[in-house]
Amino acid sequence: MLTPADIGVAQAGSLLGQTSPLVKLGLALAWLIGLLFTLDPGPPAILALAAILAGLTLGGIPPSRLAQAFAPLSAVALGVGLANLLFSASNADPAATELARVGPLRLTTEAALIAGGLAARVFAIVSVGAVFAQTTDPARLVDALVQQGRAPARFAYGALAAYQALPRLADDLATIRQARRIRGLRGGWHPRLFVSLLVRAIRHADQLALAMDARAFGSGPRSTFRPISWGWRDLAVGAGGLAVLGAALLR
Amino acid sequence: MAGPLPLRAEGVSFRYAGAARPALRDLQFRVDAGCVLLVVGPSGSGKSTVARAIAGLVPREFPGEWSGSIRVGDLDVSSATPADAAARVGILFQDPASQLVMDRAEDDVAFGLENRAWRLTSMRARVPEALAEAGLGGFERRRGTQLSGGEQQRLALAGVEAPFPSVLVLDEPTANLDPAGAVALFARLATLRAARRSTIVLVEHRADLAWPLADLVLALDGQGSPIDFGAPADVQVRSGARLEHEGIWLPSPGLAPGSEDNPGGGADSGGVPAAVDAPVIVEAHDLRFEYQRGVAAVRDLHLQIRTGERVALVGPNGSGKSTVLRLFAGLLRPTAGSVALGGLDPARIAPPRLAGLAGFVFQDPELGFLADTVGEEIAIGLDAAGVAAAAELMERLGMPLAAFGDRSPYRLSGGEQRRLSVATALARRPSLLVLDEPTFGQDRRGWEAMAEIIDGLASDGSAMIAATHDERFAARVAAGAGGRRLEMADGWIVA
Repeated sequence: MLTPADIGVAQAGSLLGQTSPLVKLGLALAWLIGLLFTLDPGPPAILALAAILAGLTLGGIPPSRLAQAFAPLSAVALGVGLANLLFSASNADPAATELARVGPLRLTTEAALIAGGLAARVFAIVSVGAVFAQTTDPARLVDALVQQGRAPARFAYGALAAYQALPRLADDLATIRQARRIRGLRGGWHPRLFVSLLVRAIRHADQLALAMDARAFGSGPRSTFRPISWGWRDLAVGAGGLAVLGAALLR
Repeated sequence: MAGPLPLRAEGVSFRYAGAARPALRDLQFRVDAGCVLLVVGPSGSGKSTVARAIAGLVPREFPGEWSGSIRVGDLDVSSATPADAAARVGILFQDPASQLVMDRAEDDVAFGLENRAWRLTSMRARVPEALAEAGLGGFERRRGTQLSGGEQQRLALAGVEAPFPSVLVLDEPTANLDPAGAVALFARLATLRAARRSTIVLVEHRADLAWPLADLVLALDGQGSPIDFGAPADVQVRSGARLEHEGIWLPSPGLAPGSEDNPGGGADSGGVPAAVDAPVIVEAHDLRFEYQRGVAAVRDLHLQIRTGERVALVGPNGSGKSTVLRLFAGLLRPTAGSVALGGLDPARIAPPRLAGLAGFVFQDPELGFLADTVGEEIAIGLDAAGVAAAAELMERLGMPLAAFGDRSPYRLSGGEQRRLSVATALARRPSLLVLDEPTFGQDRRGWEAMAEIIDGLASDGSAMIAATHDERFAARVAAGAGGRRLEMADGWIVA
């Protein structure tokens, strides 16, 4: 999870890969906000399906890869649905319609609808996130934030550099835990782990900031090596995405 | 292209805020445009501070008391704006991974050019050129995180060089590299020196590689005062004995036997084999380990280490040395095959028992520290007698608890951290001592202290295994009684 998604050439060159990350980010946000206006399982299910289909066709994501990206979180979606189905208050409500009886458990249609709605919503969020991550190079996202979104360069490139350091921090944590074991301390979590890790993270960040400053970062106006401009793809993907949202909600 | 500029330091002294003593005292030097200045000194002599000061980072980014001036051409970098200093001086640091800002190689090289607002067409011409110069032609779209340490460091060098700095500062650029990586980086430095495109300042421990490149040598003592400054041959004649006394590495007259020229030489010329009836401490059969399924980091490993034996494990970065050490010490569980430590499965031994069987010095000792002071760190898990023995050990390592006991382990120099780590590993008299790169960045005195302690182990009835890039150290281990040298490549023991 911590390693940056290494998106392939096919994904980067696809329609979604060439679309400005800001458009995709805006669209994802619009879809999620749109979902707040309905409790039905229908619209989120449609949006989840649309995201997956778009990812596979317009995004060039290999199916196995997409499955890998959202398999763990889909399990969460199922769990949320199941928990709500089994433990919903409406199961105890005598006025609710009985759907099925499993041993001592009475399952009602009302509970099933709510559970389905919640599961579909988690599923939609996971699908949209997976498709976004699988078609967006982290560096390109930061470029778009700076060039098109006018985000401060120091913040954006600093965040990118920090993101790159995550796998290394995970390795450090593994070594810190091994060091505790070899010194006779039992495993598990201990506040000291965070102290050691924090020392590492701060040291790393200091060193990185120093290296960035020494390379003239923030010393004046910047130019860009990877210019981004708005194009027809941004319009097409933006309009198409909003149309799908509209269709899902007004169906 | 600006071309090289002369460098001049006058009366430079600096004390970091909160430090008890100055890091630098009254430095004077002059380097002509296009020459190479080598800065040498024992650990804690302020070499890195000199490097940072030339790049204008000290005192700007590090608060403290500064006096004197460093001029690059006519610019006083100690009071210059970040933009002016960065326009003239580029600096390469020790740790390659914490210098790469962007994801892809070409983007990272372009980063410094973007910051100087280069035009796009100039960048598109310069970026591939800088990569090719660093021996990384065709690496444009590769991810920095997926390169080897040596490649990462050359990528970082390409990024620092791309804007044609007038002065290029390299602060222990090979400290984290294996011998092949260090040789490749030095080959690049030799080309740069021949081109005389930049004035070069090099801080480096590897004397055999660095001294032949230098036009001038600045030697510092442990207090940050200059010992000598001049042409390498003159410095060696005038102050050779003094440098040696300070624990500074000097180039060897001819290369030492068993060094780079003679790889594998130590294996058969190795010392007396340990007694075949000595108790077996580590035994591995068909050992295999995979970090990712299907990709073996260690494979088909058979090895027996007996009491009194000392094994030097050599091989390039990524050949599986550190993984072998962790398997032997029970820090990783084998994917297949078996390993026994004192007859037990080390991955299943309860930590308190394991600590008595094996001591481990990590490549990055800081990751192993558990306490807030050196005194507490040493005492973890020991009774009174153990603490007394540990205190004596610290004395032998040149870090008496009277002076170091109250200091934070995180604030020690790299060499001191490693010695502290050795002391904590040895304090319980483990039957197996495991060392990952024990001589990294050590000055000569630290190196010799380490070698003597390892000599003493054999008589204590323990065994030792060390992964090392330091051929001199490997040869020393292999030459003694019970010594062996094993070479790894791609997860296999090949010699």
